[in-house]
Amino acid sequence: MPFKAGSFTEVLTQHGVARRDFLKFCGVMAGTLALPHDLQTQIASALEAPARTPVIWLEMQDCAGCSESFLRASRPSAAGVILDVLSVDYHETIMAPSGHQAEKSLNDAIAAGGYLLVVEGSIPTKDNGVYCCVAGKTALQSLEEASANAIAVVAVGNCAAFGGIPKANPNPTDAVSVMDLVTDKPVLNLPGCPVNVVNLTATVVHFLTFGALPDMDGLHRPLFAYGARIHDNCERRGHFNAGEFVKEWGDDGHRHGWCLYQMGCKGPVTYHNCPTVRWNEGVSWPVAAGHPCIGCSEPGFWERPTYVPVELHEFTPPATYPDVVKEMPAIDPTNAAVTGVVAGLVAGAAGAVAIQQLGKKDPEDEEIVED
Amino acid sequence: MTVDRRDFLKMSGAGLGGLALSSFESSNGASHSPEADEDHSVLYDATICVGCKACQVACKRRSNLPPDLDSEGIFDAPKGLTADSWTVIELYQEDPVTYSFVKKQCMHCIDPACASGCIVSALYKTEDGPVLYDGDKCIGCRWCMTACPFQVPKYQWDKTVPFVQKCDFCSDRQDEGLDTACVAACPTGALLSGKRGELLEVAENRIKDFPDRYVNHLYGKDEVGGTSWLYLAGVAFDKLGLPKPDKIGTISPAKLTWPYMMAVPGIVVFMTGLCTGLYYYFRRGEKTGEEA
Amino acid sequence: MTANTLVRRKNTLSFGWGTAIQAILMLFGLGLMINRWVFGLGATTALSDPRPWGLWISFDILAGIALAAGAFTMAAIVYVFNVKEFHPLLRPTILTGFLGYSLAILGLTVDLGKPLDMWHMIIYWNVHAPLFEIGWCVMTYATVMALELSPMLFERLNWNVPLKLIRSISIPLIFAGIVLSTMHQSSLGTLYVEVPDQIHPLWWSIILPPMFYVSAIGAGMCMIIFESTISGYGLNHKIPVKLLGKLAGWIPYVLGFYLVMRFLDLILTGDIGAMFAFDGPSIMFWVEILLGYVAPIVFFSMPAVRKNRYRLFWVAFLGVFGLLLNRFNVSWFQLEGAPYFPAWQELFISIGLIAFAMFVFNMAARFLPLFEEH
Repeated sequence: MPFKAGSFTEVLTQHGVARRDFLKFCGVMAGTLALPHDLQTQIASALEAPARTPVIWLEMQDCAGCSESFLRASRPSAAGVILDVLSVDYHETIMAPSGHQAEKSLNDAIAAGGYLLVVEGSIPTKDNGVYCCVAGKTALQSLEEASANAIAVVAVGNCAAFGGIPKANPNPTDAVSVMDLVTDKPVLNLPGCPVNVVNLTATVVHFLTFGALPDMDGLHRPLFAYGARIHDNCERRGHFNAGEFVKEWGDDGHRHGWCLYQMGCKGPVTYHNCPTVRWNEGVSWPVAAGHPCIGCSEPGFWERPTYVPVELHEFTPPATYPDVVKEMPAIDPTNAAVTGVVAGLVAGAAGAVAIQQLGKKDPEDEEIVED
Repeated sequence: MTVDRRDFLKMSGAGLGGLALSSFESSNGASHSPEADEDHSVLYDATICVGCKACQVACKRRSNLPPDLDSEGIFDAPKGLTADSWTVIELYQEDPVTYSFVKKQCMHCIDPACASGCIVSALYKTEDGPVLYDGDKCIGCRWCMTACPFQVPKYQWDKTVPFVQKCDFCSDRQDEGLDTACVAACPTGALLSGKRGELLEVAENRIKDFPDRYVNHLYGKDEVGGTSWLYLAGVAFDKLGLPKPDKIGTISPAKLTWPYMMAVPGIVVFMTGLCTGLYYYFRRGEKTGEEA
Repeated sequence: MTANTLVRRKNTLSFGWGTAIQAILMLFGLGLMINRWVFGLGATTALSDPRPWGLWISFDILAGIALAAGAFTMAAIVYVFNVKEFHPLLRPTILTGFLGYSLAILGLTVDLGKPLDMWHMIIYWNVHAPLFEIGWCVMTYATVMALELSPMLFERLNWNVPLKLIRSISIPLIFAGIVLSTMHQSSLGTLYVEVPDQIHPLWWSIILPPMFYVSAIGAGMCMIIFESTISGYGLNHKIPVKLLGKLAGWIPYVLGFYLVMRFLDLILTGDIGAMFAFDGPSIMFWVEILLGYVAPIVFFSMPAVRKNRYRLFWVAFLGVFGLLLNRFNVSWFQLEGAPYFPAWQELFISIGLIAFAMFVFNMAARFLPLFEEH
């Protein structure tokens, strides 16, 4: 059921959030969404609107890490308010009811329609999907029923977006991603292991403001968060360009925050906005902490060896410059030797014959009369 | 630049074909006003260039060129112009405070030696200024690589069907009214595109207004008869790896060979006449019908 | 005075070790050519962007074409200047010339990046380009020489109608050969006129075209003596010394004229001082001038040399060597670029081509009326 409350300002006051902080939050959201700054007023109006979109949150084969990430949005409190305001009608991990009451909430919400379906975790398909059952239904069935009346489906985390850990070799449950199964509704992927809640929040804000999902790439990931590679925004990129790489854990380079490419960083092939929005309310992110990116927003990242450097496909110039004076290609000593030997042989043979012949008289000499 | 005896002979050789040389087409087909004032041109000001290499990267992207990988396979690190890098930023550095960047690419000469010497006209000068290359015509003789005073054309030595590679002045972009990829990417304004006549004026004004900043010479104005790419710098141009002005001179090499090529029909007539004349001269008095 | 003191090799099928060596080197060269076509220039040559032209251009094309100048020179001597006694030398000399040009063309099939497009110059023109003129002339002149040599084949096969036809146009062919040779021998010089700043002043000149022309004539005449002595030895067929001596007597005039041109040019350009710089180029200059031009001028002027087959041969060798050195200097040693030594594949392809030419000459001498009066 849509959340009904007093005026939005009352809600804010109840949660102890100043309106100024709320407006700041709207500005931050505009920035995260790569929208023009003056749209923050439009965002503010949308978030204040009384009609709030219900959300159904299903967990399939998951570790609930994405839910944990979601919960970390409790601070700053404005974000928490927004998500409270979203009317999350069903979430197994965090909702209060359980058992039949919980299932009744789910069925009522599905019947009412007009909700955003958030899916966490991959869906097993082997043996008719029995490897994940809730309330006597397989995950397959639940997804089918829940997506039928949804406005859109948001797959949070690498498992829901691309299959994640369950799908990694040997994939005993034949786990698949949401977009493999849901083809009749718009599916937005928010991969990451776990999802970065800032991106989830921004997606929701976008949806509330514009009534549509943000622009996506070919893998259904929103461009505002997955449009650039880690490598493109990494604060250690200067070290990469200068060829300053960490070679061993704890070496001098590591202590100076040098580039982790040679320690296996998947930044050059990973699309995600970790360097800019960071984690745990912007405290840090893996590379800043000195560990290479593992590429958790990319499909199949669990198949890649973590500490083996990734093959690059896009190349840029280094920080150094070629000199104006060019180094000439070196002479191959073999070539010089062979030429020398052949020339020597010819010269030697010619010389030998010449010396032998020049003293001689030609038999025809006598016959010539100079004319 | 003083004219020494060598230049005098060069010039008189050029005059062999006729004094009308200056207005004659001297490259294959395209004719310009002698001053080429209307040609597309670019002024590169090395004193404004910060060496960001945005031009180098933009050129690669627009031209779909593969990287020149360094030994570790991490960077696109050409050591100069190559078959896969049509423009590069190089650095001249004497000491920490005395340095200059320099951008290298095809100079798109007004009267290009490469186009003049190309056996099949695979390299040709266009009306608007760019010197273009038609790989389909090319037979791979590689004379252009020797003829170019700036050593611009490079070759795909590793291919079984190799082509010459060089900057094409983004002629397709220019046809659409766009700037070249490099000029469009330059963030500091070191690259300025425009008509040659206008750029000559802009450059000369810069030298006049900031005499302490610039070497008093606009490189490309007269070198080898003038080029479309003009250079201003704060250090001597030969220090930047550009051929010395008095080494390459102000006459296009194409003008040195054209008189000889124009003389070819005359030589044919002359030699035929000479042979015939001598033939009969050395047979005077012989009976006719005798086997030659 | 008959020039017909010819001894024909009795048994045309008795091949010696000379033929064997020619065949081995030829086939090895062919294998290397195929290797070059498959793997490209980068893998099989020492050429690079700062040195795009190497041994194949300097030797096979420049030296090869210049040394083949004996053909048109001999044709002029016999037909224009009407010196009939040199007639027996005409066919072997033209064959040598034809083989020289064939080597140049074969050398191009490996040097050109896209040899299959060699014919493009027929449809894509550039009248400004010396190479265009050279290409057309070489193509036409090779055809002319093939036609001039065809009587040899027709005689052997007893094809009288074609024989008569060719003989009827022999004078126009000869004239065409002389005119074409004049054009492209000098155009090879015009080519290098286009790079004045890249060639050392002791070798570059605005009058390179006439200098190339005259030196080609002189070296061509030396080459006639050189080549006919070698083939005479190998095929047991000697050209009379008197004939060669007479030819040798004219060489000093040609080479002398060349030296006058060369030194006058150096004086007028003010570059004469570079001769005395005692650096690498000046030493190379002296070697080329003294061994390649002064020595033949001096020695061919001496009757004692002109009477002796061996001395004629070795002085002619100096003249040939001087020409080789000149072309190598202009196009390689004194031309700016990366330091360069030919790759062994380049070397053995060139050697293979020479062996091929010798082999063809060898077979022609045995199976065709190469040395017969006609």
